[in-house]
Amino acid sequence: MMKKIFSSILLLMLLAQTHNLYAHAVITDYSLKITPIHANKPDQVELSFNSKIELGLSQVFLVRKGDKHELLEVTNGKKQGQIIIHIPALEAGDYALRFKVFAADGHLTEDIIRFKVSH
Amino acid sequence: MAGIADFLDSLIGGFDLICFCLAIGGLFWGLFLLRPWENAGTSNSPLNNALLQKTVALIYKGGFWLVAAQLFKIVLKIWLMVAVLERWPFPEFAETTQFIGGMVRAFLTALMAGYCYYILSKHPFSKQHWLTAGLVALPMIISGAWLVHAAGRFDNRILLMSLTVIHQLAAAAWVGGIFQLVNVWLLQRDNKVPEQSWPLLLRRFSIFGIISVGLILLSGLPISLQYIDSWNGLIGTGYGNLLMVKVVLLSLALGFAWLNRSAVLQFVGYGNDYALKNRVPYYVQAETLVLVILLFTAASLASQPPAIDIPDLTASWQEVLDTFTPRFPRTSSPTHTDLIAGEAGRVAIIGQTPSMAATEWSNYNHNIAGIFLTVMSIFAMVSYVKYLPAPLSAIDKYVHLTKYWPLGFVCLGIFLFFRSDAETWPLGPIGFWESTFNNGEVLQHRIATLLVLVLGFMELAARVTKNPDSKLPYVFPILAAFGGLMLLTHSHVGFQAKSAFLIQVGHTSMGIFALILSCGRWLELKLDSPGKDIAGFISVFALFQMGLILMFYLEPLY
Repeated sequence: MMKKIFSSILLLMLLAQTHNLYAHAVITDYSLKITPIHANKPDQVELSFNSKIELGLSQVFLVRKGDKHELLEVTNGKKQGQIIIHIPALEAGDYALRFKVFAADGHLTEDIIRFKVSH
Repeated sequence: MAGIADFLDSLIGGFDLICFCLAIGGLFWGLFLLRPWENAGTSNSPLNNALLQKTVALIYKGGFWLVAAQLFKIVLKIWLMVAVLERWPFPEFAETTQFIGGMVRAFLTALMAGYCYYILSKHPFSKQHWLTAGLVALPMIISGAWLVHAAGRFDNRILLMSLTVIHQLAAAAWVGGIFQLVNVWLLQRDNKVPEQSWPLLLRRFSIFGIISVGLILLSGLPISLQYIDSWNGLIGTGYGNLLMVKVVLLSLALGFAWLNRSAVLQFVGYGNDYALKNRVPYYVQAETLVLVILLFTAASLASQPPAIDIPDLTASWQEVLDTFTPRFPRTSSPTHTDLIAGEAGRVAIIGQTPSMAATEWSNYNHNIAGIFLTVMSIFAMVSYVKYLPAPLSAIDKYVHLTKYWPLGFVCLGIFLFFRSDAETWPLGPIGFWESTFNNGEVLQHRIATLLVLVLGFMELAARVTKNPDSKLPYVFPILAAFGGLMLLTHSHVGFQAKSAFLIQVGHTSMGIFALILSCGRWLELKLDSPGKDIAGFISVFALFQMGLILMFYLEPLY
């Protein structure tokens, strides 16, 4: 009887946890810091990670006003851990890049970079 | 579902390490401590067949469980990717180091466990077979290097991978040895091994344990220096914070190890085996608990970005200190309307607006929960006092009522029920059943609330029961340890935003106190006087500390 109680409680406690997606891979640098995107012109954004990234298992979304998501094309950069995001021509306004990347160390990482597009 | 998958992923990391310690630590135990071939054929040997069979069984069971854990990790990764990426991750996943390395390690572990199961268990006194088992384990140990986080690094990759493997081996030697000690004690309790086995193996392990801990520190220090490059990185990041938790837990475990060694020396020097038989087994149990939590913390640490990579997201020591600064707890809550009004802006990606109401709502919840715990723990501490000082002697007759302090958990459960989910019944517009079964997070909160209530009723029943054989008292320390485990493994947060770290630092501190609460209560139930009273008081004092942390909790605005 006690064993059943213990098992049930432990199981319930397991289920009772909420969890975020955790990360070992983090962005160490990104080009938006020094090179802003200008309106009405396709552009590229470079993201540098502290770990190798499995590109085939990673996604980057452009988030527009109203939190509308659009999947973007991503390619490998020249350096290790660097990815290039191809940004379509955008009107001036507030945007964000929301990415989900699978790092070589086995961790799935989610993060958001907010940015502004101006004329 | 992604939340559950990711949570299981973080737990399976700790479970993986436990199995690794059982298997590899067991091999070390056999090769360096038991050395059964030296006693082969001698009568009255303290190392009899029953002990060796059980030792080998722990090794291959640990190995087979490790295979299962390794495969389950891969399944969890697939589950997580399907949930997060919303697509099937193959064939890309099959080409990753994690998949290939994981499968190879599972295969090599199965080989090692199979050898121990089919061969070593039939020849447990054979030196040749023990050495072969060690050799068979070697490729499996090396293969693990490609699954540690150093494998994804750009700088000093091989050095870090090697150091991590050595660190794991040293930890396995110590923790696996402690598991084996528990095994020896259980066998002796059931009269399956000669009486002299316990002191003999304790004495041998005493030296072996010191060497293992030395190796843990020697390998751990350069890894830490590679990942943490400043004092601020140690104090102000999740990685540094969990490393400090590991150091605290290591110190706790070493405290128990010191008590064990003192008892061994007392036996060797003066022939006094009282502590060796009546206290050390329970110290070893408590040490085991601490080490198991330590392994889970180590697994959590591996999912943190190193401090060296996030200099811009590191909190200053002043900010960390401010988290623990005593302040008046918030006793007034923002209105429900204000809270709901700020939610849309708070969770938006574009145009995100921090919600003061949400922060204050959360502060109020934490602070009031802290008041509950603090008051409960004060009652609990008073319950250990035999007589009150003279000026308070008039209320002596009421002191016995303090044993009902677990009722506070029931009140806390009711409070949480009303406050956890503002948008649902009874405060919000969404109905009870609708919110419980249609929203995973609400369901989880409801379960947590139920658990607090159950904990209160069970511990209350345990404190007032007149049945000396009741098992109810053991529920509390087990749940407290599990709570500590949750606080420590739950604490690593995405991307180390400073505000998220500042929330984490309080929770990890509470995790340590929850573990002290658990060990203290366990020892109170097991030890004789005066140890049991001291342990019991330390236990509720830890609860008091948790109450204070919650009472002064201040959430950053985000």
